[in-house]
Amino acid sequence: MGKVIVVTSGKGGVGKTTSTANLGTALALLGKSVVLVDADVGLRNLDIVMGLESRVVYTSMDVIEKQCELNKALVRDRRVDGLMLLAASQKNNKDDMQPEQMKAICDKLRTTYDFTLVDSPAGIERGFRNASAGADEAIVVTTPDVSAIRDADRIIGLLQNVEIEPINLVINRFSPQLVGNGSMMDQADVLDILNIDLIGVVPEDSGVITSTNRGIPLVYEDGSPGAQAYMRIARRLTGQRIPIPDLEQKGLFSSIVNWFTKNR
Amino acid sequence: MNLSIKQLFGRKPKSSNIAKQRLKLVITQDRVDVDDRFMTRLHHELAEVLAKYFEFSANSVKMNLKQEGNSYILVADFPYTKFHDMSMRR
Ligand SMILES: Nc1ncnc2c1ncn2[C@@H]1O[C@H](COP(=O)(O)OP(=O)(O)O)[C@@H](O)[C@H]1O
Ligand SMILES: [Mg+2]
Repeated sequence: MGKVIVVTSGKGGVGKTTSTANLGTALALLGKSVVLVDADVGLRNLDIVMGLESRVVYTSMDVIEKQCELNKALVRDRRVDGLMLLAASQKNNKDDMQPEQMKAICDKLRTTYDFTLVDSPAGIERGFRNASAGADEAIVVTTPDVSAIRDADRIIGLLQNVEIEPINLVINRFSPQLVGNGSMMDQADVLDILNIDLIGVVPEDSGVITSTNRGIPLVYEDGSPGAQAYMRIARRLTGQRIPIPDLEQKGLFSSIVNWFTKNR
Repeated sequence: MNLSIKQLFGRKPKSSNIAKQRLKLVITQDRVDVDDRFMTRLHHELAEVLAKYFEFSANSVKMNLKQEGNSYILVADFPYTKFHDMSMRR
């Protein structure tokens, strides 16, 4: 029996879709069977971020409306074994789907795939409820800024209310330079506020943008810091114990730089 | 370390520290606002303790959280009608 994990955040644009695409690909590269479910009905993106947009024929809405079997709606990613995508309908909206219908899909996928990652839309309304309806666990993505963290706290409360456990935090777009000069909160600050388990820190990486342009998830670029961070998170999801490296810049040099920077 | 050197030279506080302090306050408020059960639970638990010393009617009790500068103050009004002086003397 596999796990269904919802990737969510509250605030939009913090990296849910990027994280779903990269963690899903990373898990498949580690030999797991994975299906990525786009729950952002009406604003679908996971297909294009994954580079699979031209191959989508059916969506989860077709499955719900019994136009097509679940297995037939899954798009196979040919670059790696065991990775599938279930796209969201673009012509429907979030209210056209019931949480129970999403749950039924997740319940089926759980019996076949090691990991089902559900990419949640922003917000705390219906779209979020649909996305989390079938989830066993959650990954909350946040960036280290006040609005994203405040929204993450709200989402964590909602996930706790429906007893989704564990809830793991990913801090995305982390900048060691900004932390070094005191203008960005570090991981300890974020954890002190949100008080949940950290599963990884993904640095700000321009590779995310270029890989998204190409439709090739960043994790295929072995050397990039973002790819390495996502690979480590994927390993942790499979139960491996991998310490979270300290991405912060410390020491005398940064203190001196710090001293001269006006950027605060 | 960093911070103490800066404080020594009278620099402005780091904006990341300001962010953290502001977030902590606002999230405390958010959690109370959102969780109706929290105030009810607190009300019940406080009433239980106070009932050992005072007599009051449950529906005269008022509780809320108000912000004052950098912190929140819990204001609880439990208008009582009499002491249980037994418990006072113990
Ligand atoms: N670690 C990162 N470094 C640089 N850019 C990033 C990073 N993570 C996400 N982005 C960019 O941020 C934007 C929003 O990301 P996306 O995954 O679509 O967020 P969400 O799904 O939460 O709305 C995209 O343009 C993406 O390329
Ligand atoms: Mg998205």
